[in-house]
Amino acid sequence: MTMAGNQVISVDRLVKRYGVLTAVDSVSFGVARGEVFGLLGPNGAGKTTIISILSCLIPPTSGSATICGCDVVRDSLEVRSRIGVVPQEIALYQSLSARDNLVFWGRMYGVTGSALTARIDELLDVVGLKERAGQRIDTFSGGMKRRINIAVGLLHRPEVLFLDEPTVGIDPQTRRSILDLVKDLNSQGLTIVYTTHYLEEAEFLCHRVGVAHEGRLIAVGTKQELIDSIGAADYVVVRAGGLSDAVVATVGALPNVAGVALAENELKIEVVSGSTVLPALVETLTRERIDVQSIDVVTPSLETVFLHLTGRSLRESGKGVSEEP
Amino acid sequence: MSFLNIAFKDLRIRIKDRNNLVLAILLPVALTAIIGFAFGSDSGISTVEFTLVEPDDESAFLVRAAAALLSQVELFEVDVAPEAEARESVLAGDRSAAVALPDSVLSSVFHGTPGVIRVLRNPVSGIKAGIVRSVAERFATYVSAGSIAARGIVDALERERELSDGDRLELYGWMFGWMRDLWDTPVVSLEGSDQNVRKMDAVSYFAPSFAVLFLLFTMLASARTIHDERESGTYDRLMTTPVSPASVIGGKLLGCYWLAAFQLLVLIGLGALLFRINWGSHPTAVVVMALVTAAGATSVAIFIAAAARTSAQTDRIGTVVVLVMSLVGGSMWPLPESFDRFGRFTFNYWAQSGFRDLVFRDTGLPGIAQEITVIGLMSLVLFAVSVRLLARRS
Repeated sequence: MTMAGNQVISVDRLVKRYGVLTAVDSVSFGVARGEVFGLLGPNGAGKTTIISILSCLIPPTSGSATICGCDVVRDSLEVRSRIGVVPQEIALYQSLSARDNLVFWGRMYGVTGSALTARIDELLDVVGLKERAGQRIDTFSGGMKRRINIAVGLLHRPEVLFLDEPTVGIDPQTRRSILDLVKDLNSQGLTIVYTTHYLEEAEFLCHRVGVAHEGRLIAVGTKQELIDSIGAADYVVVRAGGLSDAVVATVGALPNVAGVALAENELKIEVVSGSTVLPALVETLTRERIDVQSIDVVTPSLETVFLHLTGRSLRESGKGVSEEP
Repeated sequence: MSFLNIAFKDLRIRIKDRNNLVLAILLPVALTAIIGFAFGSDSGISTVEFTLVEPDDESAFLVRAAAALLSQVELFEVDVAPEAEARESVLAGDRSAAVALPDSVLSSVFHGTPGVIRVLRNPVSGIKAGIVRSVAERFATYVSAGSIAARGIVDALERERELSDGDRLELYGWMFGWMRDLWDTPVVSLEGSDQNVRKMDAVSYFAPSFAVLFLLFTMLASARTIHDERESGTYDRLMTTPVSPASVIGGKLLGCYWLAAFQLLVLIGLGALLFRINWGSHPTAVVVMALVTAAGATSVAIFIAAAARTSAQTDRIGTVVVLVMSLVGGSMWPLPESFDRFGRFTFNYWAQSGFRDLVFRDTGLPGIAQEITVIGLMSLVLFAVSVRLLARRS
């Protein structure tokens, strides 16, 4: 994803203070058209505040942000007509039906008449709730509410969609369907800003990720760029009986091995690429008659990046979980 | 037209809410029916029976004349009896009230000395006794006016020439005769005003009170949605759409107002259909009164919601305010006149006063001009303050 000349969102030294508390501290980043940009960080990192400023809900204390060339403070009405916002909470009228909610929100975005009816039918199809359109929202499951919540943000065909932790508190199956929906929307060209504290979601969805920590954006880039930036390598972890210093020396002499450490019955091998070193490693261990119990290849992840940058895991910092998306 | 969309959405949500329908329509109708049943003896009042106490002085003729005159009014059944007998029949419940003129009332009339009309009321006959008291007040006003006129004539004559005791006696004699003629002749002002007073019944009396009371509760429930929207996140979502905060506030106010007007007009219609309440011969005045009352109730509820910080706080403060206003304003039961001055500070008082003028006096628009003005001004002030408070928080 290239940025040059194609930037839809531009954020420059954005600051938001509440009294002595600095919620957002000089944050800068850009988002290209058609990109899924992830804001990754624990609760309280400032992600929602950044989204709130970009969706014109709150003004920044200083700094600036533009969306599609429009300033979020000066041209807020224009910005609001170009963006869709899916808040973290289910911001729907519970006693109205799904269709009535979509009609109301569509009109608020200025979509009316047959265009609105057609768009609602299309979106109900996309989120798989056409059969339940006439039922009240308060009869829906959490996942169904989430999907209607997303559909509302898409009614007016926005150029940019902000999704603020849209998978919080839902079951893995619904979560997967929402992630697939987001992927699908992006494949149709929609620019998406996605906040999450789930590492796996960021890795699965986002072209680029901004790592938020204590109000600051401490790193921005693709997953690989972020990993490269901290110089993280792959590890092969061997659990076996009969490990000795001689084995450590033999393994250390293999090609592409950068270092080896022995701890009790576990050998931790730092390698340039885990998959390329495996055949030679297995052959060596067999030749040395080592009783191998398991071999794991550990590749660096955004968790590694977060740990490296903040000194804490995302789970320790907030409520990140390690469910597979 | 975003505000219309918001108002329509709010109206739709409230009308679809069964709890709201119970609060807005069923409860006031049920309470009115219960009151009608409970006050069966006063419900559908055909006559108000009361006694004028016969004095043992020269003014007895005046009392008898007044009794004869009042008996000509269809609503009244009046007799004259000595005080002890009158008191006994009131306490026994045979008469709703007894009225005793001041001692030497004629002397009071001609010399301008203060006198007190005493009304002995049977507490069980609350409404009927209230009517008698009202008649006594009118009588006092009439006699006071006559007294002032009579003394004016005497003063004028004394300026022409000095009056001897004989002249004065002759003049008083003439005055007595004039007063007798006056009372013996049907008095246009008294009869004219009473012809406009319809038969009073408890249902017609309480229906507007309960309508106003429950209107305030319904509006409170509607106004709290301002906080509900904030707490559920829909307000923030609204602010991410291309609409202004003014449209959102305007829409919320209009939605509340539509619901209030709808509720009140439905209750008026149901009152006519179910309880045969005669709202008068001026439908325009009834609609105007309903619309102004709806605005008043909306403004009170919105003000409470705007002053509160959460929906729970709106409920707590609002319930207390509405109950106190309804109590002091006379929505729950007729209050002693000493409370009148406090009642005038409440929305309930003016709303009920307007509707009762239409129901019992059939006054039309001119007769409710004061009520409309007071409620209108009250609404404007409360709306202005509320919008300011809400805008500050948006």
